[in-house]
Amino acid sequence: MAIHGTRLITLSTTTPEPPDHALVARVVAANDALAFGELVRRHQSRVRNFLRHLSGDHATADDLAQDTFLHAWDKLSTYSARGSFIGWLLRVAYTTFLQSRRRAKRYAQILRAAGDDAHAASQGYTRSDDEAPDLDRLLAALTEEEQAIFIMAYACGLSHREIGSAMLMPIGTVKSVIYRGKQKIRTQFDIKDHQHG
Amino acid sequence: MADRERSAADRRLEALFESAPIADDGFTDRVLRRVRRRIWVRRLVLPVAAAIGGALAYEPAMALLRFISRLEVGIPQELRTMPVSLLSSATIAALSVVLLLAVALALRMLDEF
Repeated sequence: MAIHGTRLITLSTTTPEPPDHALVARVVAANDALAFGELVRRHQSRVRNFLRHLSGDHATADDLAQDTFLHAWDKLSTYSARGSFIGWLLRVAYTTFLQSRRRAKRYAQILRAAGDDAHAASQGYTRSDDEAPDLDRLLAALTEEEQAIFIMAYACGLSHREIGSAMLMPIGTVKSVIYRGKQKIRTQFDIKDHQHG
Repeated sequence: MADRERSAADRRLEALFESAPIADDGFTDRVLRRVRRRIWVRRLVLPVAAAIGGALAYEPAMALLRFISRLEVGIPQELRTMPVSLLSSATIAALSVVLLLAVALALRMLDEF
């Protein structure tokens, strides 16, 4: 009995999990919702983390993350296994974020035109400089594109190559954006080199 | 030296961005529920739209067929004086198309929610 138990445990622990591209192939070929569920389970943390940093609001980020995975479901056939799946997924997340922000801005403009300034001010993802935690203040010093790249690099742990494929830019550009962003942070927060190290 | 400084800055930034992995807490199930709903809506949208469109377009289509079957002789004369009943049928057909599009749009919106 004990041997059987051990064997079962050994088998279950050594069975390799199917790689992302194999799951994607199953979804594309047969609309396999379970395979897609496995992809969501694997990557939800990084996608939500990325959107939480980008939007600065957990509830909004989680709604956007759901939309991201739905868009991913629709566009999964366009994923080529050449790049990493998480890189592709974060590109979908970033596009979803930008579209949502554009919609929020348009809605705020309509509200302003209608004279409803109080509601208009509450639309969109704006970070307040005084009350925001350190990280949000730091991100506020960067452009939107720089923010996305910084979050991918430092919060999601993506390589420069993965960021390049996610943002559709060459690796050299990714590196220079990161360098420029660091310079901005140093200048903005008056950080000397020895303080930063 | 420059490399050491850069990596130290990177480490500092990584520490600043560091956070515990976000627990699933039913997130995956919520996404899958929406995906399954989307699959069902997609499966239903074409047959439902075809059934509604067919039901609405049946009568005007029949009237049109009857009118065409009467056009055996004297086509120019018939065309010059179009029957009023056919005009109303054409209106109904146009309305059917609009309704068909509205149903498809409503199902698409349901799909989004």
